[in-house]
Amino acid sequence: MQRIPYGAAVRADDNPWLPLDRELRAQGLRAASAAPVRAVVCVTVHVDGPAVEVGRKQFPAGPYTAGRYAIRRGVPRHLEILARHRMAATFFACGYDVEHYPAPFHAILAAGHEIAAHGYLHEAWDLGDEEPSLLAKTHRIIQQELGVTPVGWCSPSGRKSHRTLPALRELGYCYDASEKDQDRPYLADGDAGFIMLPNNTVSLDDYPFYFSGHSLAAEAYDNWVQEFEALRQAEGYVHLTVHPKAAGGSGTPARAAALDRFLGHVAAQPDVHVMTLEALARHCLAHPDHWRRA
Amino acid sequence: MTAPKTVLVTLNVQGVGPEAATQPETALHGRDAHGRYAYGGGLARVLDMLRRQGIRATLFWPVFEAERCRDLLEQSLRDGHEAASQGNAFEDLSTLGDREGEVLERARDRLAQLTGAAPQGFRYTSSAFSARTVPLLRQLGYRYDSSAIDDDAPYALDLDGGAGMVELPWSEGLCDATHFSRRVTQDRAYAHWVEQGDALLAAEGYACLTLHPRADNGVGRAARLQKVEQLLERFRAAGATFTTCGDLAAHALQRE
Repeated sequence: MQRIPYGAAVRADDNPWLPLDRELRAQGLRAASAAPVRAVVCVTVHVDGPAVEVGRKQFPAGPYTAGRYAIRRGVPRHLEILARHRMAATFFACGYDVEHYPAPFHAILAAGHEIAAHGYLHEAWDLGDEEPSLLAKTHRIIQQELGVTPVGWCSPSGRKSHRTLPALRELGYCYDASEKDQDRPYLADGDAGFIMLPNNTVSLDDYPFYFSGHSLAAEAYDNWVQEFEALRQAEGYVHLTVHPKAAGGSGTPARAAALDRFLGHVAAQPDVHVMTLEALARHCLAHPDHWRRA
Repeated sequence: MTAPKTVLVTLNVQGVGPEAATQPETALHGRDAHGRYAYGGGLARVLDMLRRQGIRATLFWPVFEAERCRDLLEQSLRDGHEAASQGNAFEDLSTLGDREGEVLERARDRLAQLTGAAPQGFRYTSSAFSARTVPLLRQLGYRYDSSAIDDDAPYALDLDGGAGMVELPWSEGLCDATHFSRRVTQDRAYAHWVEQGDALLAAEGYACLTLHPRADNGVGRAARLQKVEQLLERFRAAGATFTTCGDLAAHALQRE
């Protein structure tokens, strides 16, 4: 994929999503009269339940229940919003949460969403030699409790090591959603079977705006729309991250409403296709030559 | 007739250099590799924006980043931008002791080799200065420094041991990283820039805008560059002219 210059109109033929558009039409998934796909939106929900508090050695009761909010309120609320906009999303699950609170994850699957892996205890520290076995542990828990096999992973907190990708490959994963270095998917070095789907944990995320930036929900909404509109003129890859937890996330009513409004804005655009990270990964890996690093 | 207003647009070219100063580059992934966004499109996009605006900027290059962005360094020179020095590889100048002169000299020489001309200016925001830094910069032939935040206008560096040199102060309120490191929305960052920039131009007719090409603390993302363009157009509409640090320093020294 060629670099798309900033500020210049992209010629219709250079739209990187034309092959996807053709595939969707061939499969009957896009109306003949619909505009060509110009942007892909992936909604990712980092469930981050009590695993986060337990990982921090906090007993998940009393005040340490921001994660429990996700289980009790946030996930159902996000599922309702996604269903109303008819969007399939990717839910990143910590192994501990699936083990102890399987019900919301069954509801996620029943609604047609993807479950992907997100650490066991949302480990926000260097795991050393333990890392491959912890990745395998969460993988097994998701398989056994939910009966599905995850193919994607996003680092809890964004930490990775040289052990990560080999361990994910060993488990059969085909994408990693943890890098922050490009506005487009790209093949992992020398590996036509594994795709990097970068996330944007700065300005297409809820937590940094709410927790660090102390933004109003209306301000976060405006920033998401500005990012979406700018990316839609360029690479057209929009990777949104939200958290259904309390305190910093988008589970609570005011912030869930901002998410709802943003997804409403996205849903109203005729040239946008919303898909899970797994569906995007499979599309990219079917056309590896389009996604080599520039 | 209003007083002249001058805006410097400056870019601290930072990719993974700050993180690579303390960890091997191959160990930088995920959250520790935000800086790779500068190489993955951020820096090229900032150059696109400056070309659209017809503005010649000053790029402060650590040698570490210049080596990784040779094509974009050359592109920036073709576009008429100034290449100034930002040291070698994010070392802490205040701890280098006797090695400081050697490190600064090596940085100047390598950048000169890559650009074909000795840099006229220096900026360092990665660490404190030592008592020797300004005198060393003078010995190395620098005409200006742009590391200080202690004035609203250029001033002579004689009292700091930089006889014949000028300081072109930058402004932390008119810098992207100041605001984005706190993860504010870009509308908030823009509001801060307007507040600071308008008042600086009204005070002394001088404002130094500092940008970074990263996506986390900088403006490498297209949505943020649109805000920067809005700011530059606002300054232009207020009668400001844009110049490089090198040209302003030469002008200031001539007047003395």
